[in-house]
Amino acid sequence: MKRVKVLKSVLVSNMQRAQENRREFDRMNSLVINIIASPGAGKTSVIERIVEYFKKKRKILVIEGDIRGQIDSKRLAKLGVDVIQINTVTACHLDAFMTAQVLPKIDKKYNLILIENVGNLVCPAEFEIGEDYKLAILSTPEGDDKPLKYPLLFYLARVVVINKCDLLPYVDFSKERAKKNILRENSKARIFEVSAKTGDGFGKFCSFLEKELNAKKKKG
Amino acid sequence: MHEFSVTKSLVDLCNNEAKKNNFSNIYKIYLKIGKFTGFSPDSICFYFEHLKPNTKCKDAEIIFSEVPIRIKCTDCGKESEIEEPILVCPECGKMTIEVISGREFYVESIEGE
Ligand SMILES: Nc1nc2c(ncn2[C@@H]2O[C@H](COP(=O)(O)OP(=O)(O)O)[C@@H](O)[C@H]2O)c(=O)[nH]1
Ligand SMILES: [Mg+2]
Ligand SMILES: [Zn+2]
Repeated sequence: MKRVKVLKSVLVSNMQRAQENRREFDRMNSLVINIIASPGAGKTSVIERIVEYFKKKRKILVIEGDIRGQIDSKRLAKLGVDVIQINTVTACHLDAFMTAQVLPKIDKKYNLILIENVGNLVCPAEFEIGEDYKLAILSTPEGDDKPLKYPLLFYLARVVVINKCDLLPYVDFSKERAKKNILRENSKARIFEVSAKTGDGFGKFCSFLEKELNAKKKKG
Repeated sequence: MHEFSVTKSLVDLCNNEAKKNNFSNIYKIYLKIGKFTGFSPDSICFYFEHLKPNTKCKDAEIIFSEVPIRIKCTDCGKESEIEEPILVCPECGKMTIEVISGREFYVESIEGE
């Protein structure tokens, strides 16, 4: 009997594949955002608003990760944006290998690739898929304590969008507490307050994205 | 649920390492798991029992060792160990924190022949 050192991450194959995906996305010069939130937080609604804002100026691709079905893809296709669906079937998150499977289907250069991950605050956080960064959405009915209950996602997300701000008068949600809790996980997080229903806040949020798109262009 | 795919990766990784070391059987897998990860030892064990038959891990058990969350405050320079991942410096209250450990999730070693 012998004991040998291994010192390898269990996630090593996913990490390597994510790195390869990232190189492919960089070759296409696309800004890739991995959007993570609980079911119903407004991932698809936020994507719709971003698409409306950039439709005429930029080429956008949406990758929809769902356990099953094509409901969100159909919703987005109505806006005239290119959509690719991934059905994860049993997995509660997208991983780098599932994402790699869509790469051959990308036949154009897109400025922005928005990936809607499976609705879940826990699992998607652990799996890199080749994104430039993660964007977390926290909707007001979920409560302002969620960053502390799901700390890893908020620690890893570079951008946090607080959605459904139109509901603030009706729900027990303090924006100040929410922001404080987000910053307690990630003092560098960029936080935006929006309502995908009314469109409030998207001017500010989308001009931030526009700057990121320009920065990516220069780099590429 | 995500522990299924993760445990599958664990078994694959260990089988490969066993091959490299000419082990026909692994008896122990020493796994480091940080407290600031989303993985639960219980679910990993559960899936491991399902996945290990007919592999070099069939007689193996996993020895977990938890890695505490350690942070460093970039403002006052203090290092601290924290129980919950709330990234605030216990010394000075600032949120200028670097996570030093707690995100580990790796196979430290395997034992076999
Ligand atoms: N009041 C309100 N409802 C919203 C807002 N954003 C999304 N919704 C609603 O919340 C529900 C879930 O939204 P959806 O975008 O499908 O969430 P997803 O599951 O995260 O993709 C839908 O009924 C949306 O109309 C918002 O800002 N305000
Ligand atoms: Mg959706
Ligand atoms: Zn300090």
